[in-house]
Amino acid sequence: MIYVLYAIVAFICIYTARHYWFTLNRLFGFQRHPYIDIDTADWPPVTILVAAHNEEKVIANILSALMTVKYPQDKMLVVPVNDRSTDGTREIIDGFVERFPGRIRPFHRAGGKGGKAAALKDAMELAETEVILIFDADYIPGAGLIKQLVAPFFDPEVGGVMGRVVPMNCGTNLLTRLLDLERAGGYQVDQQARMNLRLVPQHGGTVAGVRLSALHEIGGWNDNSLTEDTDLTYRLLLHGWKTVYQNRSECYEEVPETWPVRIKQIMRWAKGHNQAMVTYGLHLLLGKHRASLRERIDGTLLLGVYIMAPVTLVGWILALAVFYEGIAPLHGVVALLSITAYAAIGNLAAFFEIAAAVRLDGNRKRIVLLPFLILGFAVSIFSVSRATIAQVKDALTGAEFHWDKTERFRKVPS
Amino acid sequence: MNGFLSVALLIVMSAALFMLPLIPAMAELNRKSDAQPLSVIQQHAGEIRHFADRFRLYIKELEPLLLQAVNTGTTLSGTLPDKTEYLVLGSGKEALRLPLRQSDETCPVLLATGIDLSLPPDTAFSKDVYVAGRFRGGTKNRYRAILGEKEVDLGAESHVMRWVHAVGNFSAGPACQLHGRVSSDTGIQLSGGDSTFQRLNAPQIQFGNPPMSSDFADTAEPSDSWATPPRLLHDGNFEIPDGQTFRGNLVARGVLRIGRHARILGDVKGDRGVVVDEGAILRGSLISSNTMRIGANCDIHGPVIAEKVLILERGTRCGSAEKPTTVSAPWIQVEEGVVVFGTLWAREHGAVVAKV
Repeated sequence: MIYVLYAIVAFICIYTARHYWFTLNRLFGFQRHPYIDIDTADWPPVTILVAAHNEEKVIANILSALMTVKYPQDKMLVVPVNDRSTDGTREIIDGFVERFPGRIRPFHRAGGKGGKAAALKDAMELAETEVILIFDADYIPGAGLIKQLVAPFFDPEVGGVMGRVVPMNCGTNLLTRLLDLERAGGYQVDQQARMNLRLVPQHGGTVAGVRLSALHEIGGWNDNSLTEDTDLTYRLLLHGWKTVYQNRSECYEEVPETWPVRIKQIMRWAKGHNQAMVTYGLHLLLGKHRASLRERIDGTLLLGVYIMAPVTLVGWILALAVFYEGIAPLHGVVALLSITAYAAIGNLAAFFEIAAAVRLDGNRKRIVLLPFLILGFAVSIFSVSRATIAQVKDALTGAEFHWDKTERFRKVPS
Repeated sequence: MNGFLSVALLIVMSAALFMLPLIPAMAELNRKSDAQPLSVIQQHAGEIRHFADRFRLYIKELEPLLLQAVNTGTTLSGTLPDKTEYLVLGSGKEALRLPLRQSDETCPVLLATGIDLSLPPDTAFSKDVYVAGRFRGGTKNRYRAILGEKEVDLGAESHVMRWVHAVGNFSAGPACQLHGRVSSDTGIQLSGGDSTFQRLNAPQIQFGNPPMSSDFADTAEPSDSWATPPRLLHDGNFEIPDGQTFRGNLVARGVLRIGRHARILGDVKGDRGVVVDEGAILRGSLISSNTMRIGANCDIHGPVIAEKVLILERGTRCGSAEKPTTVSAPWIQVEEGVVVFGTLWAREHGAVVAKV
């Protein structure tokens, strides 16, 4: 029992060091934004896929925004991927097609496999350009965003691009404010540090782009994956393609406003991520492929972030058990120290990361909300653990994954 | 104190200590003093002319005064609503006679004129300058910002601290230091003599006096620039021999060397550096995760990006009038005789030198 605990503590220490390394890099290291200066170019044709499943509350906003972006109109085609919607999504899309002839080509999908990856896979028949951008329907791209997301594809090593997600409804309630802090930490520090350090920035599947030839090379969208973005990141990496992160390519999104919706969302992410870990983890770390050593290590650690939730829970239980069992006095001290060390340094590392992100963003006052993040982390740790247990159960019983769409909270436009 | 009270007190005190950091958090949750979404910078698209456009709007209320000053040939002064003092000149030569130079040799007022303007030398203009006509600055001047509706010509050894925009040509004499943004709707010409720059944008940017009729004899057959070429990923250094033609996209995980008069029909990248020898022609982009040296008389059509140092030697041309492009690196050294069509952006420091 004590050796399992040692191993868990070691893992926690590795992730803690990683958090600190990333944060210090963002605060004091050299920042890589190699493609952000490309503002003049012979811009390539681009197809913009907008994934939409029952999105009547938000689809009009993104289509309106895309019609006003600064990109050569004759080189940009918007493809709303209407995936089996049963609300007014189709009518809204068709209204836009009439208003903007030749600029929007809808893909209405009435049946087929569920999930975003499956819908994107089917919609690829309309994508003829080398550069493809992907947005979820609740996003609102700014005027310069398309050029910023296309620019990295001038680099022939780039297979995927990821922009920064910024919550637009962050002031709604405690949950949205906590998610705003978490997003800031995840993008402003975590993703950008991985970009700076030439590690593995993660493709997010929205506010993102992919090179068509790279997609073909890796076998297209994986419609068996619950998180097609994580899956894409690793397949690109294994085939020698880079995913780059553009911290200044920001785009507004809507974050969940209720806890049940948030829990569903994070459970889906956890299952998808764990699925990728099982599929690619060992091969990434030890297999023969084009990733560098630092990419192998960071990629493996990134794959393990969700599994760390149940591992930490087990660690807590083991630490208490070891202490109360009184296996050996030294072990009791070790157990106590491991809990104390994790509570003091482990948690603090993530807090440090988020606090640094808030500082970098210049939003100084919201930093006082940091103590509330304990609540967010507690919910996440139990939700992710629950998702992992359910996933193991599904794997044993052969049950199929179920796609849960994230509910929207915006008012339906009149 | 009995045991029960002690335990109760311990619990209460522990709870109070736990709640302590939550007090400011709850206050912020209630007040929402910092609950706005993060301001997204690319709403204004990072447009190089952003400051110039804003200044043009800002100065709009001076339009009647500009007309009045020109018609009467007088100089008008006053204060804008934000308490900025202004001086509207009715005669272009007026500035040479005005007592602009004070004890600290500073002109602390916003200067505007509806006609051509010539400014005296050795003066610091700590507020923005607006010129509806041609602008000619004296030597060794320091400017905060300049908006010229026609040509803008800076004297030698001048400094610009924030931005310049010229609707007509922009030119700067030797040893000028151009911090921030310099843009022109027509063209930019920078003299050598150790001039420095950061962000330049114009249909054509010239350094020194490049030959205007370049003989870039690209005999390679035309190709569809956005067709998907095959990609070659090479671990280690890679060299394209002199005079050879390479078709497709190329990534070298080591140093990429492109030989003399070689031709590349695709995008290329060197992870550990790129060296392009004299006379090479690249139809696509040229990327380096490290340093990049582009030899003399090369012709590059696509974006040129180096993550560290970029050296451009004499006679090289980036982009074209029909298809302008971006050249960017943290540190750039440009020899006289280079021409860039579009954007040249040195994040940290750009320098024009006679010979690298």
